Amino acid sequence: MGRRALLGAGIGGAALSLLPFLSGSAGATPPEEAATTTAPPRRPTTADAEMLGQLQALELTAQALYTEAVNVGGWSDEQAALVSFILEAHRAYGQSLSGLLGRDAPGRRNDELFDAWRADFTGAPDQVLAAAYDLESALVATHTEVLASLEGTNGAASISSMLINEARFCTALADLNGSTDNSELLVDDEADSLVGQG
Amino acid sequence: MTNDRSNSTPQPLEQQFDRRGLFRIGGLSATALALVACGQTEAGEIGRVGVGQPTPELEAEVVNDGVLMRTMAGVSTSIANAYAHILEGGALAGSSDTLPDLGDQTDLVTLFHEHHVEAAARFNELAVEAGEEAWECGNTRLDSAYISPIFTRVEDGVPATGAAQAIPPSDDPTRDMINLVHALESMSAASCQAMVASVSMPAQRVAAMEIGVRSARQAALVALRINPGGYALTPAQEAATQDTVAAEETTTTVAADAPVAPPLTPIDLPVAIPGHFGLLSPTTWIGGAGDENGVRLRVNFETPSLNSLAYPFYSCAAG
Repeated sequence: MGRRALLGAGIGGAALSLLPFLSGSAGATPPEEAATTTAPPRRPTTADAEMLGQLQALELTAQALYTEAVNVGGWSDEQAALVSFILEAHRAYGQSLSGLLGRDAPGRRNDELFDAWRADFTGAPDQVLAAAYDLESALVATHTEVLASLEGTNGAASISSMLINEARFCTALADLNGSTDNSELLVDDEADSLVGQG
Repeated sequence: MTNDRSNSTPQPLEQQFDRRGLFRIGGLSATALALVACGQTEAGEIGRVGVGQPTPELEAEVVNDGVLMRTMAGVSTSIANAYAHILEGGALAGSSDTLPDLGDQTDLVTLFHEHHVEAAARFNELAVEAGEEAWECGNTRLDSAYISPIFTRVEDGVPATGAAQAIPPSDDPTRDMINLVHALESMSAASCQAMVASVSMPAQRVAAMEIGVRSARQAALVALRINPGGYALTPAQEAATQDTVAAEETTTTVAADAPVAPPLTPIDLPVAIPGHFGLLSPTTWIGGAGDENGVRLRVNFETPSLNSLAYPFYSCAAG
């Protein structure tokens, strides 16, 4: 038996040994009910990324508005401490969304909204606090509306951690502005969502 | 030489207790014991042949949207029940030595009570929509392990035991009850936030967050009633808090000959905004009178987890 004959016999044997495996695979049919999962995706989907990008622009707009307010001055120490705290919070929210979205993050504010709100954030401290209350309430409404459309849980969890704090900002701002009305402090009338504006 | 010692001649004492004698006495004793044991007349149960009951298996823990929603319904009901208990006791209408400017918070907590009754109904609607039965009672784990022990400690104290002195009822029940309201609102907000990443349907996320938003605002408002002007912790205050915890941890043991009463566990004042992001960490409640070492009761309220979920095989009727 020559070398060529040996090689031929080896290949033929290998083919024979694979035959059952190959025939089994070819003959396999998918199960009648394919395994499904109801677990939502973790990472933001393409549609999520677009919505989260718009939210990031809103957070950066809020950061820019509070920066304007702080620069105007006239604040008491207590007022300055809270407004600075909220400014830093919005900065952190924008950065957090940058981390979540990566290259899909717009990384810039919404200029139209900034221009629309700017005058309210450069007035007297009590006017700025009232405007900030309205802005935070609008952000709560906006995030809640977007939450209903997000598919990925990472984005939803991130937004919820911002949303729940922005709700607290409203109460703190109303209290700092001297309100004693429980319906105002607890924001019985939420502002309109900013989705689609600007 | 013979081993026969059956003669009647008394032997000297040394010979009676030689080694062979001791062996003989031991053997007789063992034989006597065996005879006594065999003389028992009761035969006992005859061994049986067969297969016994199998080891019972725990039912599968199903964690789905319906279970999570009815768990949240139970949490809301527990909070509402706790507020009803607080309002019935009238502690909020009293004065507080620790918080002299607190004022009567009865109306505010009545408002909070209504919110949690409505929240429980909403969560139950979502549970039924998700295919589970409604959960109409409080969360059993939250009630038994957290809320009830707090009420007992504040209202009744702890009786003396063989190892510890009695602890009297709270030195300031108004302070403890309003702090409990803050802790429960904070836990409610955190629990709703935690649901967002756990449930699969967007409608449930939104409903949970709408309730959580209200709870967060209620937590902020009651924090400001307890601690007027306490909006947020400054970096310096955060550092001071850490120092307080460290100091507390190093002074829990009191020398036996200490001439003064041991310091009481400090109770931190809450703030309206405890962090830049919504927190999922436990909310600590500290209250009640101190024990003989000055240590008050400390309870960490956490978001619902595997031990506190209302699984399908649980029911309110079973407790």
